[in-house]
Amino acid sequence: MIPLELYILLASIMFTIGLYGLVTQKNGVKLMMCIELLLNSANINLVAFSAYQPNVNGQVFALFSIALAAAEAGVGFAIMIALYRLYGTIDLDTIKAMRW
Amino acid sequence: MDFSHYAPLWGEALLTVLAVLIVLLGSLMKNSGKLMGYLSAAGLIAALGLVGSNLMIAKPTLFFFDTISVDALSQFFKVVFLVVSLLVVIASLSKYTGKGADEYFALLLFATVGMMVVASSIDLITLFVGFELASLSTYALAAFDKSRKNLEAAMKYFIFGSVSSAFMLFGFSLLYGMAGSTKLTVIASATIANFGPAALIALLFVIAGFAFKMALVPFHMWAPDTYEGAPPLVSAMLAAGSKKMGFAAAFRVLLVALMALRMEWYLAFAILAAITMTLGNLAACWQNNVRRILAYSSIAQAGYIAIGFVVVGKAYGLAPTTAFNGIPISPAQLGLAGALLLILGHALMKTGAFIGTAQVASMVSKNDANDPDDISNYAGLVSRAPVTALCMLIFMFALAGIPPTAGYFGKFVLFSSAIYSGLVWLAVLAILNSALSLVYYLRIISYMFLKEPAGPKMAEPKGYVVALVLTTIAVLYIGLFPQAFFDWAVQAAAVLLPQ
Repeated sequence: MIPLELYILLASIMFTIGLYGLVTQKNGVKLMMCIELLLNSANINLVAFSAYQPNVNGQVFALFSIALAAAEAGVGFAIMIALYRLYGTIDLDTIKAMRW
Repeated sequence: MDFSHYAPLWGEALLTVLAVLIVLLGSLMKNSGKLMGYLSAAGLIAALGLVGSNLMIAKPTLFFFDTISVDALSQFFKVVFLVVSLLVVIASLSKYTGKGADEYFALLLFATVGMMVVASSIDLITLFVGFELASLSTYALAAFDKSRKNLEAAMKYFIFGSVSSAFMLFGFSLLYGMAGSTKLTVIASATIANFGPAALIALLFVIAGFAFKMALVPFHMWAPDTYEGAPPLVSAMLAAGSKKMGFAAAFRVLLVALMALRMEWYLAFAILAAITMTLGNLAACWQNNVRRILAYSSIAQAGYIAIGFVVVGKAYGLAPTTAFNGIPISPAQLGLAGALLLILGHALMKTGAFIGTAQVASMVSKNDANDPDDISNYAGLVSRAPVTALCMLIFMFALAGIPPTAGYFGKFVLFSSAIYSGLVWLAVLAILNSALSLVYYLRIISYMFLKEPAGPKMAEPKGYVVALVLTTIAVLYIGLFPQAFFDWAVQAAAVLLPQ
């Protein structure tokens, strides 16, 4: 069996990549991909922990979170499409009517 | 099958069914906006009655394999959410009547149900699902009018909101890994503190996730933009409902599951509370957009409420004092009760203030193209829209914490609990901040009452007037007769902190 530490390491690396992407990317869709990375790194954690526990709560939690991530992507893409129709771009640096 | 033992949850069930029904009917009928609005208002009043019939529930009742708990605390938060949602729906009756209104009301109801689920959750899974239900509905609501500002606000809210849920979920996954269960009480008994750094990392992620929702500095960047750009009535829902949901979740998770780490989170919240109220108040002084001022004031108020965490963490286990009405009450309980009272008060005041801005924006935007929330549009409001101006006056005084209003009473209990638990520096800082906040509240008031009117007298839509007057009555009533509310908050606090 693969040791638990490796799973947690993989999840942490994924989370870090997601965070890095969130800070450096400007494109709305890329940001949503980074958010998916963050959510899925938590799912890896949940499933890995669950495999080492006597209960399957973690796997159930991961299933719920996958469903919610899908719903979130739906709402997110709807907002991005509406943005694109109005601004003609989803480069988030150009969308800055409000500051401070 | 017999469903009668689910009676305490009928409020949520009713609202869920109603929201689905509104979506279905709305797609079948044309021009049903008005009807849907009245249906939602009726449903919310009925749900308020159902929740109210179990208000003083003596012992927590558990449902669905111990994942949902109906107790005094959950009922307190549910009443706050339902009242806020009802006021927003009443105000919306004058604004959302045409195409798409059915979706607006359905989303509002779904958001309310999500918040009610969070208030009742004693399991990480139900908590996360409720949190996401409320968040997803409000993301869509923030973009509802689809203007440029709306969409920018919704985009920022969506990105920050999703990242915060991801942080929260990562923290939850670590908690599950350490405790082997998603139940808050099991996590509490699993001596998480023995895990050392892993426990601290989990705590960090959980606090970061909640602090985004509560808009504590430095996790507040989205709040001013979102509150300014979203439709004004949705801003009311966000500031008064969605933000309080963050507090409800944080109370449950930190005070039950992570009580063993209280020395760590008490320090974190002491710093967060101090920075949040100071920065929120300072930033509000520089703004010219009234909704942005309200957004920063809302951040500052979140800083005050966060004092509740500091008091609970610091004073947990201290002997009860009898300073309040001679009834023995421990400083920790007093702190939590004060935070709850301020949550109740702030939810009402902020809903009212944002409905007021919606009213002004609706009067202005018909005439000229400049920023409808600019403070210059509030000049001489008392002669243009007298009811709005008078109600706004009460809300501004209440937000500043001037008696006899709900805002004063909550602050009074909270700050005195800080002094009882030896946090004099925090209480002094909070009182100084309250004084500082008068600068911008008085600025709005002086614009409304002392400046020359910016235009002719305007019609005030009925829905806004009803919502404003109801909110004003509630704010004054809590301030004038606080005893019953104080007892209620203490009872709610006793759920998490038994003597």
